[in-house]
Amino acid sequence: MTTLDSGAALQHQVPRNRMLNVVRLQFVNTQTFIWVPALVLGGSWVLSMMIFWIIGGAGVTEVKAGGGSQAPLWYFLAIGIQAMTMTFPFSQAMSLTRREFFLGSLAAASVSGLGMSLVFVLLGLFEQATGGYGINGYFAYLDWVWAAGPFAAGLTYLTATLFFFTIGFWFATIFKRFGALGLTTALLALGLALIGFIALVTFQEAWPAVVKWFTDTGALGLTLWAIPVTGLLAAGSYFTLRRMPA
Amino acid sequence: MNSVIQVRNLTKRYKDALALDGVSFDIEQDAIYGLLGRNGAGKTTAMSILTAQNLPTSGDVRVFGENPYENARVLSRMCFVRESQKYPDDATPRHAFAAARLFFPRWDQGLADELIDDFQLPLKRTIKKLSRGQLSAVGVIIGLASRAEVTFFDEPYLGLDAVARQIFYDRLLADYAEVPRTILLSSHLIDEVSNLIERVLLIDDGRIIMDESADDARALATNVVGDAAAVERVVNGREVIHREGLGRVASVTFLGRLDGAERAAVVADGLELAPVSLQQLIVRLTQHRSAGRPGADGFGSNNSGPDSSGTKSPTTNTSDADTQEGSLR
Repeated sequence: MTTLDSGAALQHQVPRNRMLNVVRLQFVNTQTFIWVPALVLGGSWVLSMMIFWIIGGAGVTEVKAGGGSQAPLWYFLAIGIQAMTMTFPFSQAMSLTRREFFLGSLAAASVSGLGMSLVFVLLGLFEQATGGYGINGYFAYLDWVWAAGPFAAGLTYLTATLFFFTIGFWFATIFKRFGALGLTTALLALGLALIGFIALVTFQEAWPAVVKWFTDTGALGLTLWAIPVTGLLAAGSYFTLRRMPA
Repeated sequence: MNSVIQVRNLTKRYKDALALDGVSFDIEQDAIYGLLGRNGAGKTTAMSILTAQNLPTSGDVRVFGENPYENARVLSRMCFVRESQKYPDDATPRHAFAAARLFFPRWDQGLADELIDDFQLPLKRTIKKLSRGQLSAVGVIIGLASRAEVTFFDEPYLGLDAVARQIFYDRLLADYAEVPRTILLSSHLIDEVSNLIERVLLIDDGRIIMDESADDARALATNVVGDAAAVERVVNGREVIHREGLGRVASVTFLGRLDGAERAAVVADGLELAPVSLQQLIVRLTQHRSAGRPGADGFGSNNSGPDSSGTKSPTTNTSDADTQEGSLR
């Protein structure tokens, strides 16, 4: 019995674009990636508008800014969870490596996040131009986020979508690999770390400094901080996924 | 012959169970293998590890000479659709086939279309709403139309009726003739696939207990029927893997064949020789755990003359083959 000569293996190159095809694979879930986020965005916009109209009708004329534009951001947690749980087993049947699946899923989330950010920026520009739809009501144009201009605002929004996506994806991976007990332990550890941070700041009486840091750093600065954090979360997700059985 | 898969000392331990216990085997290129064995024997685990869907605890796996783990070069040449395959929630069969077309370089859409027709698969219904048989058909179609150089079918027939199963077998053979490749088929319907498979890998309790060509496997055992005392004279000193008795008549299956002279003697004694089907052989070799009757063991180890089981009562008596597997390994 002879073993394969190495030449035979070398003739076979990796088929190209497998990773990009994962984006198409993820978008099979049009409901997850397109329709539900569109509905959340549209729905929260309509609700915000109604609230602005009611407040305006009550004679309030100053700037009205809602937190409604956060809703689609939070939804990226769900997208992250579903991208992992729904599509990972099938990606294995498609003979994909975990790396291809992971990077492709991240790319799919980026496409979805970019679309969402674009809508957000366009809405914000429109609100800016029309003085908040003429009723001083702002859904997308939030002073604090737009301080460094529309491009920075778009970057903040995109980074937030990917941040939430990665968290959802990682938690789903932990759940799939280590079960409910593993996920709960991870969440508890996270809670402990947060409390540790709060304790540290409190005992050092450093709250004013912390608040000042956040204010000084601003939306763009925080976004620039969030990018490496998201990168770390992504790396964590990948290393959790790497040795996970299908 | 080239071996496309080489497995050495492969062990997979789950928390509380040893699924694969240091198995070693080779899979030759362009052959249809039957991966046979009882539920929980380790078939699916083996296939999962070969396709890097699962990771070994220890041991070495080479596919096309390389480790398949996270290896797109190797994985893109393989296809393994699980018996319990999960699909994206919103996916329809149309989506699944469109995806397969993206990822399997040798995908044949014409073949896929024919198979969709054969199995009368509704393309636009979401997969989670398909019947069990239709779900199996999705997997079968991906497995066949991908034309992957190494294709695994893990009990692909669940929920398929006899006609649909026959379609699968016929299509598999026809397409295999057209595009030779390596196919590993795990199945419990051994009689149904026995004409399909060229080689048998029998896995039992995490170990390979048979690695033979199908023809050699069929020739492994012989069945002799007739007067109990005469039968016992024939099988004396042989490895008995099964015996049944009804009054004075005994039917005993033993490992090995009789040569010309022995055959003549047996026929002269008025005994009948019958071939042992692959299914019978495999049942007899792997039924040790379910038999579980006290005192049912020992036939293989002592092989000593007539046993009371052939004569004591008119009830059918079944024995096991606990100690036989070692001789086949």
